[in-house]
Amino acid sequence: MPDQDATSLSFKLVYYGPAQSGKTTNLLRLHDLLSPELKGEVMTMETKDDRTLFFDLLPLGFRAPSGLLIKLRLFTVPGQVAHDGTRKAVLSRADGIVFVADSDSAQETNNGEAFQSMADNCHRVGLDFEHIPLVVQFNKRDLPSAVPEAEVRERWEAAPWPLCFAVALRGEGVASTFEALLRALYRHHAEALGLAREHGISENAFVAGMLGQTGTPA
Amino acid sequence: MSAADFDREWHLGELFDATMLARVGPPLAELLDGDLAILDRNGELLWGLAAPDARREALVLELEPAGFLASSAASQVRLHAAGRMFTALLRAEARYRMASALHLEAVTQDFETLKLEHVRLLASEARYRKLSEELEARVKAQVADLEARQQMLYQAEKFASVGQLAAGMAHEINNPLGFVSSNLGTFKLYLDKFTALRDRLAEGEAAWHNLDLDFVLEDGVDLLADCSSGLGRIARIVADLKSFSHVDRPPEERADLNACLQHAVSVAGNPLPAGVALRTELHPLPPLSCNPGHLNQVFFSLIRNGMQAIQDAGRPGAVCIDSAADASGITIRIADNGVGMSPAQLERAFEPFYTTRSVGAGTGLGLSTARNIVLAHHGRIAIDSTPGAGTTVSLFFPNTP
Ligand SMILES: Nc1nc2c(ncn2[C@@H]2O[C@H](COP(=O)(O)OP(=O)(O)OP(=O)(O)O)[C@@H](O)[C@H]2O)c(=O)[nH]1
Ligand SMILES: [Mg+2]
Repeated sequence: MPDQDATSLSFKLVYYGPAQSGKTTNLLRLHDLLSPELKGEVMTMETKDDRTLFFDLLPLGFRAPSGLLIKLRLFTVPGQVAHDGTRKAVLSRADGIVFVADSDSAQETNNGEAFQSMADNCHRVGLDFEHIPLVVQFNKRDLPSAVPEAEVRERWEAAPWPLCFAVALRGEGVASTFEALLRALYRHHAEALGLAREHGISENAFVAGMLGQTGTPA
Repeated sequence: MSAADFDREWHLGELFDATMLARVGPPLAELLDGDLAILDRNGELLWGLAAPDARREALVLELEPAGFLASSAASQVRLHAAGRMFTALLRAEARYRMASALHLEAVTQDFETLKLEHVRLLASEARYRKLSEELEARVKAQVADLEARQQMLYQAEKFASVGQLAAGMAHEINNPLGFVSSNLGTFKLYLDKFTALRDRLAEGEAAWHNLDLDFVLEDGVDLLADCSSGLGRIARIVADLKSFSHVDRPPEERADLNACLQHAVSVAGNPLPAGVALRTELHPLPPLSCNPGHLNQVFFSLIRNGMQAIQDAGRPGAVCIDSAADASGITIRIADNGVGMSPAQLERAFEPFYTTRSVGAGTGLGLSTARNIVLAHHGRIAIDSTPGAGTTVSLFFPNTP
């Protein structure tokens, strides 16, 4: 459940995935690409070889017509297998998840294991994996060794989650992945939080507010 | 979100304690022309003195102010610069605090997971223990049930064979009993003749001849001899029965199996059915520590089985009983040349509930019970049979020290 008080509403979103799949890169590019009303600095916690040690954090926010401040706090988990305890702690209390898979065909097993660990960890930290807003992103589409898109689509056909393709390094597909998650998030929570009714925010306005495309019709 | 969660939004008051503020405050105040107040995110004063008209500089960590610097003396530019510097300090502290809180959470998570795992292990161990106890109890109950059935069958067989034995014995005892009683009747008539003689003493020797007392005297002696031999036969039957059932002996003793075999032969062969012969070829045996009462019953039923097999064959035959000993133990063979058993019958011969006849129809103990008794004596039992030609049952008892 998002954190809520009289004046603000805060969602926690987590970028999950195997080591080196591009989670941190997603966050850094989002910081550059998005221009919501409020945008914080990216707080990164990396070791010197660029592996996330604890987490990265990007805060975003905008104000609803009702005056309610809607905040998003984007976290990344450390992908390295050894940091499962940290991964679990970062995943705790998440309201939505982007699973960043590595398209490199050599990484298929890692993707599978990471996805399974994500499902397991969700259960362990008390998240309802069956219903939590989740988007699956296949990153590094630029790699020559990438598994063909058609094959990926076929494999994930039966899965209920939106599937996105990205080259995070070049910022491609990063915002659309984020948008897919925003839409899932809105649909999951709008009713209970009265986003449309009490705060006058439609799904499109929610997305536009976070992406920073002011003027987009609500 | 609780106060311990690493991902809460931190505010100045918790990031910088009084000691830290007392260290940072004074130099910063000096840079701001001697006038500085440090306020928490809700405006609460944490350090310094705040004039009501003081300018406020928000210190933003994420999106909203985590605290404020306030000064009325410093210029806006300076206050802003001080704010940026202070924010950098705050951010460094926040990073450190978040990382350590996260670390703690991760460790606690792992610990909780371990504890959960432990609880689960204990639970599954308890489940398995319970299951194995239940299984054990079920097996015990089934074994007890089987034993009870076997016991019942054994008892049924025993009663049947005891009944059979009793019928045979009754016949055997009835026979001498019949002629002893008839003899005694005749003997009373003879005595009546002597009473008559007393009244005719006056007639002298003629009376003696008239009454045919020479014959009476001679026949009376024969009658008494007959009675005596009949009673002797009854006494022998009773003695056989007594030693056969061992009512007067402890169950485990050192016994001569030849004696047991002889008892069994004499009981089984009394009466001997027409066309059936019993032959024994007994060689000296060392004494065996055993329960003779039980072994008697085994031998008896094996001999009776053999006799029955000969009767079933519908032609004359013999049951041969031989015994022999060597260094390893005692071998006893009971062989008949009766009907024999088919391979299928042979295969099932030792099954507890298997019989080719109806239970208790006169075959003595079942073979399975016989085998149980032999096994209880650490012995072995084997059957060899050819349909139409006969059956040989071999028993082996290892020497007892
Ligand atoms: N070719 C290619 N490389 C990428 C792409 N996205 C990220 N990378 C590279 O992949 C490496 C790992 O990227 P990160 O964003 O640090 O990966 P991460 O998922 O945060 O890794 P961990 O924090 O260790 O879990 C870096 O060298 C990136 O430059 C992409 O779209 N294409
Ligand atoms: Mg990273």
